[in-house]
Amino acid sequence: MPIRRRDNLLAYLIVGPFALVLAFPFYWMLQTSLKSELDLYNTENVPFSFGKGSPTLDNYRFLFSDTQYARWLLNTVLVGVVVVLITLAVALPAGYALARLSGRWGQSLGVGLFLVYLVPPTLLFLPLSRVIAEVGLQDRLASLILVYPGFTIPFATWLLMGFFKSIPRELEDAALVDGASRLGTLVRIVFPISLPGILTVVIFTFSLCVNEFVYAIAFITHSDSKVISTGIYTELIRGDVFYWGALMAATLIPSIPLALLYNTFLDRFIAGFTGGAFR
Amino acid sequence: MEAAARPPRRRRRDLLEERRFLAPALIAPAVIFVGLLVGAPLILSVYLSLTDATAGSLTGDFVGFRNYTEQWSDPNFRTALRNTIVFTLLANAIVILGASILSHFLIREFRGKWFLRFLVLLPWAAPVALSTIGFLWIFDSLFSVVNWTLVHLSLVDKFNPPQWLGEPNKALAAITTVHAWRLLPFATVIMIAGLASIPKEVDDAAKVDGATGLKKLWFVTLPLQLPIATIAVLFGIVFTATDMAVVYILTRGGPFNSTQMLPMWAFQTGIQAGSLGQGAAIALFLLPVLALVTVLMLLFARRVEVT
Amino acid sequence: MADDSRTIDRPNEEVAGGRVTRREILRKAGAGTLLIVYGGAVPKTAAAGAPKFRGKELAGTLRIVQWSHFVPAYDKWFDNTYVKRWGQANDTEVLVDHINQADIPARAAAEVAAQSGHDIFFFLSPPAAYEDQVIDHADIVQEVSKKRGKMKDVALKATYNPKTKKYFAFSDNYAPDPVNYRTDLWGEVGLKPTSWDNVLKAAPKLREMGHPIGVGMSNEIDSNMALMAMMMCFGSFIQSKDQHVVLNSKETVAVLKFARELYRQGMSNEIFAWTAASNNQAMLAGRLSMTMNAISITRSAELSNPDLASKIELMPIPKGPHGRLGLEHVMGAYVIWKFAKNKPMAKKFLVDLETKYIGAFENSKFYNFPSWPSAVTNIARRVERDAVAKPSGKYKVLAEIADKYTLNPGWPGNTNAAIDEIFNKFMIPQMFAEVAQGKRTPEDAAKVYDRSFRSIFQRWRNRGKI
Repeated sequence: MPIRRRDNLLAYLIVGPFALVLAFPFYWMLQTSLKSELDLYNTENVPFSFGKGSPTLDNYRFLFSDTQYARWLLNTVLVGVVVVLITLAVALPAGYALARLSGRWGQSLGVGLFLVYLVPPTLLFLPLSRVIAEVGLQDRLASLILVYPGFTIPFATWLLMGFFKSIPRELEDAALVDGASRLGTLVRIVFPISLPGILTVVIFTFSLCVNEFVYAIAFITHSDSKVISTGIYTELIRGDVFYWGALMAATLIPSIPLALLYNTFLDRFIAGFTGGAFR
Repeated sequence: MEAAARPPRRRRRDLLEERRFLAPALIAPAVIFVGLLVGAPLILSVYLSLTDATAGSLTGDFVGFRNYTEQWSDPNFRTALRNTIVFTLLANAIVILGASILSHFLIREFRGKWFLRFLVLLPWAAPVALSTIGFLWIFDSLFSVVNWTLVHLSLVDKFNPPQWLGEPNKALAAITTVHAWRLLPFATVIMIAGLASIPKEVDDAAKVDGATGLKKLWFVTLPLQLPIATIAVLFGIVFTATDMAVVYILTRGGPFNSTQMLPMWAFQTGIQAGSLGQGAAIALFLLPVLALVTVLMLLFARRVEVT
Repeated sequence: MADDSRTIDRPNEEVAGGRVTRREILRKAGAGTLLIVYGGAVPKTAAAGAPKFRGKELAGTLRIVQWSHFVPAYDKWFDNTYVKRWGQANDTEVLVDHINQADIPARAAAEVAAQSGHDIFFFLSPPAAYEDQVIDHADIVQEVSKKRGKMKDVALKATYNPKTKKYFAFSDNYAPDPVNYRTDLWGEVGLKPTSWDNVLKAAPKLREMGHPIGVGMSNEIDSNMALMAMMMCFGSFIQSKDQHVVLNSKETVAVLKFARELYRQGMSNEIFAWTAASNNQAMLAGRLSMTMNAISITRSAELSNPDLASKIELMPIPKGPHGRLGLEHVMGAYVIWKFAKNKPMAKKFLVDLETKYIGAFENSKFYNFPSWPSAVTNIARRVERDAVAKPSGKYKVLAEIADKYTLNPGWPGNTNAAIDEIFNKFMIPQMFAEVAQGKRTPEDAAKVYDRSFRSIFQRWRNRGKI
């Protein structure tokens, strides 16, 4: 099939360069993370190759033996997972209600919820830190778990509202006519069909949590409870000395499995869309 | 209104079945959560912006709109405002263009697609505070790999290469690039989802009508893509205009204040320099604008959806 | 060692809020992962003493937060040795947290907003803006002075507000800010950076050789310190002794012209793009012939590139038309919050820390100089005998710099909230960069920045702090 091959080639030609540009920084992080300091600071060396003392796994060793990196990774995952659960628990019903049950006021409320997301965290962390202290969560991981849903819920609610709208009403109506209750229909019919949307919310919420760092800086100083963004800043940027190799390694380590995970889920939910039940 | 007016057709159901009660019950947790965690602090921030509060203190003497007027006449604020708009528009133009192209191809099947898509998704997976450190290294004043390459292609002077973070226009370009880089995967995913949701029947109908290639893209795919694209842009705008990490890590507003932007300026003024009231005013300045843009875009997205 | 560290680790987890985390992790993660996490990690938060007290009630808990020191060994000594011993001697459990130096302002603001957090909070520059939130540290100062004589003027002027008559911080240390220059390269030129004139004279030749001068003009701390010091050498000052803005002067114009000339003749564009780490790295890469920085450059070189280290010499700041006036590089300033839960022990901790500063001095590899010079005996001889210095005696000059050429930001006035704001907004490097890049003439810059400084001063004056 010549046409097929031409299409393939076109895809490589277009997607390839994009992929290269987008992934280059990660290649570069890998390269840097394998270098010794002496090699890194030698401007005579070809940066794409390795010089004296390189390649070395010292930077990785340093991360895992001299810092609490593994702990911070776990903390990050923990915060992400719990926040995802809270977000789903709150946003699923809200998104559904906004899509199906409410009239005009629901629409406005949806917009209102979304607007909340525009508030910059730059200063919001100050009043919130008072709240955190009042409930006794200062320097605890739970402070982030409490606060992050504040910006993940509006986002998730909005997304889910869109997904619920795209589900044909007839499916639910059929179930309702059969005598199922609204909540029952919701749990048994609507949510399973919305799995792609839910997956999207899971991924987006998780990535928002991993990306956040203003609250993480303001609320947690205790090393045991830090997440990667803040822990790494404390240990690998010391005054005016950057531990570049270790910094790059520390970025690379969570990025690759996360991207793999996202990619895997992405496949599923796109397949769910195109070949799914409601087409 | 609507619900109440409807006659009780089916057998009696409990309260939860009533739209009037069910809807608020389902929405309430979200509203309460967000209202407490964002709404209340936001109101406090508004109050702070009207006071001369300093350094972390949540009270201060009332000064009316003085913080706003003072900032408005501050040239650094003007630069920050301009840059915020420039970063946001430029980065999102690049993102939406890139995402439409990428999604167009990534929706198809081809060998090695999984791997390419993995590469495309990488920037999104990296925490922004860390990946930007990666860019700090890539744009380093002395060890920049970009400059090394340019030098060895004999395009720039080895001794005095371009300083990506040290010259106003280049620094603006560098920051825009990083924003575009980190937002592109996200937008692409949204666009793929949008493309995938176009029913196959539409495709078939287009084929029957003889619409192919560009024609199909323009008359069929794009209009159907528009609502979802609007959402992608909307998130892009929010992420760029409210983000502080990229500028904070790369230039801290420098050289001089040429790459200053509002969240950074608010942080510098309100937190680092201790003029909290002023900082709050700066942080809130963009809120009405963003809100207006958001409402318009959301309304637009919905209208398109309906037709 | 490993066992020991674990016993230290445990009590702090029980007390400081690690407990929740731990349980949560236990629930979520398998035991295998836990083994990796706990087996591999050295505790970064130190807690002291709790299990060792022979059945006594603890006098209390003391919580401290400070930067992650550029010398990692300093943190280890402080957390695991010093604090532990002090805790046992004083019947107090001491918890030390570390944060990145750049995160200090955000966390400080958050603690004030929360009215809760650490008892002792560490700043890396005098935090004048927080005056209303902290106790008066006068009695700590008096207590230390009783034992160790007079506090250094630089520390006094950086932490005392003459308007409100309040010590808004307690300075335990400051870092002298020497010139770092390459003896081999300067030897070829046949000059020494003893005066700014010499620097300008040597600069074109050095740059010709591929080794420019590196005085930063970027939004970062090293640029701030180097340029503010250079200004003073030319007789240009931000404020007068009685804290009025005096920037718009012919001396300011002169120093701006000089810096522009220095940039044109002997530096490269890189200085506008720098982070705080850049001059270190450029020195370590062998590019720069001279820069100004505390001893982090030579200390890093000694570890990774001893050959280069032996070619980097330290010197006091070059002399200008107005003389040789230098600044501290960073100033450690502890504050005790008004809302601190354990003020008595916090005060005692700071008094004790300063009174016997020798451990901090040596474990910081002579980075931290005591704010009371007699808190460490024979400073000059100790720095001279530094074991790793090559050539030996390299650090001797630090004592001289500390003695004679180390002033506070805002000198001849005190370091006040307005100076702090100017400092934190990097306005001085911005002024220089604008002139060097030709965005403003020196005259214009002096005038424009004078005006914005006045409005900043006015705002803090309105608040009664100046």
